[in-house]
Amino acid sequence: MIDFKIHQRDSENVSVIELKGYLDAHTAPDLETAFQKLMSESKFNIVVNCRDLSYISSAGLGVFMAYVEDVRKNKGDIKLTNMTPKVYNVFDLLGFPILYEIYKDEQEAIGRFQGAKK
Amino acid sequence: MNSSSIKRLAMLVLPAILLPLVFTYDVIRAAIEFDNDSITLLRELFVLGSFTLIGLFIEKRRKSLQRNAPREIGRVFFAVVISLVVLALVSVMLPHRISGDGSIRIHQSALVLLASSLLALVIGVLSLYLLLIIHDLVLFKRRKTTWRYYYMYLILLFAACAADVPLLMSEGNTISSILFSLAMVFVVVNSFKQNWIMYLSRREKKYSIIYSILLFIALVGLDVYLASGSESNIAMIAYSRPLHTFIRLNAFFGTIYFGVTFISTLFHLPTAEVFERKQSELVSLHNLSRLVTQVFDFNDLLNTVTQMTSEVCGARSVWLELFSLHESTGEMSVDVVAKRNITQQEIDLIATDDGTQLQRYLMDSRKALLIEDIWADRRTKHLKKKGFARGSLLTVPLLSHGKLIGVLYATKDFQNAFDQDDIDVMTTFADHVSIAIENSRLISKSIERERLHQEMMVAQRMQKRLLPQFLPNLPSVEFSAVSESSLEVGGDYYDLFSLPGERIGIVIGDVSGKGVSAAFYMAEVKGIVMSLSKISATPHELLSRANDTLLETLEKNMFISAIYGVLDVRNASLTFARAGHCPIIYVSQHSVELIRSTGIGLGLTGRTQFEQSTEERTINLRTGDICIFYTDGITESRNAEMEEYGYERLMHIASTCTHCSAHEMKEMILEHVRTFIGQGTYNDDVTLIVMKWLGTSEG
Repeated sequence: MIDFKIHQRDSENVSVIELKGYLDAHTAPDLETAFQKLMSESKFNIVVNCRDLSYISSAGLGVFMAYVEDVRKNKGDIKLTNMTPKVYNVFDLLGFPILYEIYKDEQEAIGRFQGAKK
Repeated sequence: MNSSSIKRLAMLVLPAILLPLVFTYDVIRAAIEFDNDSITLLRELFVLGSFTLIGLFIEKRRKSLQRNAPREIGRVFFAVVISLVVLALVSVMLPHRISGDGSIRIHQSALVLLASSLLALVIGVLSLYLLLIIHDLVLFKRRKTTWRYYYMYLILLFAACAADVPLLMSEGNTISSILFSLAMVFVVVNSFKQNWIMYLSRREKKYSIIYSILLFIALVGLDVYLASGSESNIAMIAYSRPLHTFIRLNAFFGTIYFGVTFISTLFHLPTAEVFERKQSELVSLHNLSRLVTQVFDFNDLLNTVTQMTSEVCGARSVWLELFSLHESTGEMSVDVVAKRNITQQEIDLIATDDGTQLQRYLMDSRKALLIEDIWADRRTKHLKKKGFARGSLLTVPLLSHGKLIGVLYATKDFQNAFDQDDIDVMTTFADHVSIAIENSRLISKSIERERLHQEMMVAQRMQKRLLPQFLPNLPSVEFSAVSESSLEVGGDYYDLFSLPGERIGIVIGDVSGKGVSAAFYMAEVKGIVMSLSKISATPHELLSRANDTLLETLEKNMFISAIYGVLDVRNASLTFARAGHCPIIYVSQHSVELIRSTGIGLGLTGRTQFEQSTEERTINLRTGDICIFYTDGITESRNAEMEEYGYERLMHIASTCTHCSAHEMKEMILEHVRTFIGQGTYNDDVTLIVMKWLGTSEG
């Protein structure tokens, strides 16, 4: 049906997850798997780049909720970047900007992590 | 009395008349030394005719008797013995007046004639009986050639008899001898038709051996007698030479036939077991096939399989293990579902620690595994120390769609005790069990599916009851609402209820996700709202308290978006707070706007953050104002091009209908959304509430 792709790359101590396509109830488990993997590798500094994310449903948002607590407990964070206005609107309606740091640019988010380290 | 019984009676009555007649004639002839060729011929015809009728009578009677070859042979044996006793008695009784020079004297007393008549009758009947028995045995599982050879014998038999009719052929002896010799050839040929022996059970074969050798000996005795020059024999020849020939040939036939029977049964004895086994395999398979279809007697089937395996293969112990996959843990569990002659402890010996090797082998190979010596095989030798009995072990996998679903085990007391047949039989049994298991699983699956469907229907009805059955009916405000689930049950929720002081509570919520889990939370939300609405002063307070409760119960990845509003009829105002839910569309006379107060979904964050970030707003209503509450099922509806319906379209359609009633507005929006989607149904739960303020009479 609709494609959803996850691409992960590491930039120093920060893991960047790039999302592409439609993140809904069907594709949410893929993102869950990706987070699971990061957890098992103790990578808690996570930046989610939403540049190519066309749609996110409540199930997709739920994935972030499921992991953010654990990530923060381990002194890490999930930061979201490069959202299209439409996707940002979904986050915004639910009040996610209150819960998550959302940046226009990926580098900015990475910089935040590295700034925190210093 | 029907015609067949009349016929049967005639078969006995005629000989009963004819034979005494012949006897009377003999006595008269002996007395007056009378001799006439044509009368002699007639007498001979009477005798042969009588015996033919007796033969037919016996044949008809015998048909109704049950056939059991060894028992029949036993009967013939006793008949021959009795006949021999009668022969001996008569021989002793006969006066020794006739010397054994071979010449046949007919100067005899009436007593001698009576004795020879009786003797001819007894031995003649015996001979007929013998022939009929041989007839049945030779023609068992008949083939064309069998028939041919047998009838050749009969033809030659009758021809030899006919050649011996005095006066018919004056020098009949030579021709008769030739025919006799030819008949003997066919006696030998027919004597190899011993097919029936193969189908005897071992027990029957033993009987057959005993009776056939006894019968053989008795018949040899009869042969010797019939060839001898003893007076009674000569008297019998004198009575009727063709009859004597008939008796002699049949006696020969019997002797040779049962001699061969004895020898072949002896040779067949070792194969009796195999044959019996094949037979029991067939019977078992038949029973099994029947049981396979009766999946409701599943345990019955499993027990039958172990029982049959132990019977057919002669195994000491048999057990059947089934594997089941626990869906939650993903672990494979092994259950012994049927066992015979073995304890669970013994079975466990194989399964534990070292025994995993055996199981792994089965899992990997999915083939029957034969362990010739449990104590010696590397996969099972650990069992020796544990006190598992020595012997051989055969394991056969149960496969369903190429997946290993169980194993059938059998042990025997000795090493190398299983043969290929055992493997074949057990494989067949295992296949049957697999099929039965598959059947039963399919059936229970479809029953389960049906049950689930029913339950879902119940859940759907119950959920429908959680939604308001009646909307508030007031002169100053109009409500119209709808909620449709894309699945049987959904996570959307709305409610409209009266509050003290001419106020109306309005709630709309959307649980993240769909289906059963969402439906449960939706019910919870209803409960929470119902209880909090009475004690909360403001929408903000209610949502904040609801957030507290839900934060505890919701799963981490679940949350709920909601709007709670209170319509104050007296003040013509709507006060509401938005907890992450789709913003209200406010349609006034001049504009259509999204009222996007700040707010955060329920169950996402703790009290402080929630309270801080959730704002409460109040709209002062003017007559004709419309407020539209909805869930994202509307705005996120997609058409075939995966385009979202969105807020723009919703606001636009609302703006075209500012003078509509609440109901008309609702219908119009739904119609618009459906038209936009095109084919198919909503892909999410859809809820829509339209509230139209009509104004208070004094306003």
